[in-house]
Amino acid sequence: MIYDVIIIGGGPAGITAGIYAARKKLKTLLITKEWGGQITKAVDIENWPGTKKISGIDLMKQMTEHLKNFELEIKQDREIIDLDKKGENFVINDGEEKYEAKSVIIATGKVPRLLNIPGESEFKGRGVSICSTCDAPMFKDRDVVVVGGGNAGFNVALDMIKYAKKVYVLDFFEEMKGDPITKDKLVKSGIVEFITNVAVKEIKGTKFVESLIYEDRKTGKDTEINIGGVFISVGMAAKVEFAEKLVELNKIGEIVIDKDNNTKTPGLFAAGDITDIKYEQIVIACGEGAKAVLAATDYLKNK
Amino acid sequence: MNETKPKVRVFSTPTCPYCVALKSYLQEHNVEFEYIDVSQDLVAQKEMIEKSGQYGVPVAEINGEIIIGFNQERINQLLNIK
Repeated sequence: MIYDVIIIGGGPAGITAGIYAARKKLKTLLITKEWGGQITKAVDIENWPGTKKISGIDLMKQMTEHLKNFELEIKQDREIIDLDKKGENFVINDGEEKYEAKSVIIATGKVPRLLNIPGESEFKGRGVSICSTCDAPMFKDRDVVVVGGGNAGFNVALDMIKYAKKVYVLDFFEEMKGDPITKDKLVKSGIVEFITNVAVKEIKGTKFVESLIYEDRKTGKDTEINIGGVFISVGMAAKVEFAEKLVELNKIGEIVIDKDNNTKTPGLFAAGDITDIKYEQIVIACGEGAKAVLAATDYLKNK
Repeated sequence: MNETKPKVRVFSTPTCPYCVALKSYLQEHNVEFEYIDVSQDLVAQKEMIEKSGQYGVPVAEINGEIIIGFNQERINQLLNIK
């Protein structure tokens, strides 16, 4: 079985691509690890035309129900480990099965970047969190660390000052990139301490998180602070290792595409947040998914 | 549904997306449950942390069994939702 197109990813870009590909009557397979991607963490979405206000989870449900109305094959809970060329075609490996297709659309989006330090995954849910909107109230009267001094990190710190006794905001660089207005609010709370130019080295604890070690990048000196929670907010990362040999990446690891979603390999397209398009929005990701299918359709016709 | 009603408790915070999803899922399937807002009820928060061994919400307790996160599969099994 050789598919016309395989779509990798089940967020807004991938789902829209699936709908378009099925309507184009392409022999389509959509493979995804999970549904919705980043939108499942959005509390209220108020810029999705046609719907005044909807939660990310509900929007994801509507999108997947819409998708499943069409004729296409779907494999979920699968993560792609390799994508390669086989003659004119592509072969995709998810660790369990291999699939062959004439064209491929990568729409795997972004995931929260992690620190990759000891203790981080061990204490996930036991003091380490990436969702302050969810877990902030669990840290009442505790000392916590926010790793990341960008706007996202500052917003996490804003969530935390409502509950925590003390909030440390740590940043790898000398200057924090978050908005000065937000910083002023944090400073005014009187419980936020900003520590810059440090690398977080380890998260320690027994049953739950108890302390964190960071290194001063100037002096090389380690400091251990006693805290009960660590919120990691160091941006989003595109995971494209599986496709690295067939695409060009920009310096922040996103897939470089042209205006018609072509990567550097003919027949291989990319759409949504995983690409180097500047603006990352649900409605844009959907549009990019549609565009990628239209481009793939043209590619298949001219083959 | 079983003859004896299952005892269902949901530990959550008001702003967590998966808590909202879990609650509306139970409501859709006409499951009666006790809603506990652990951002307000600190005794329940302590209970939740002790029972689940973790700080993340949501946590559901169904007939004494602790389920971490919105684990639809396990919830379906325990509540006989098909």
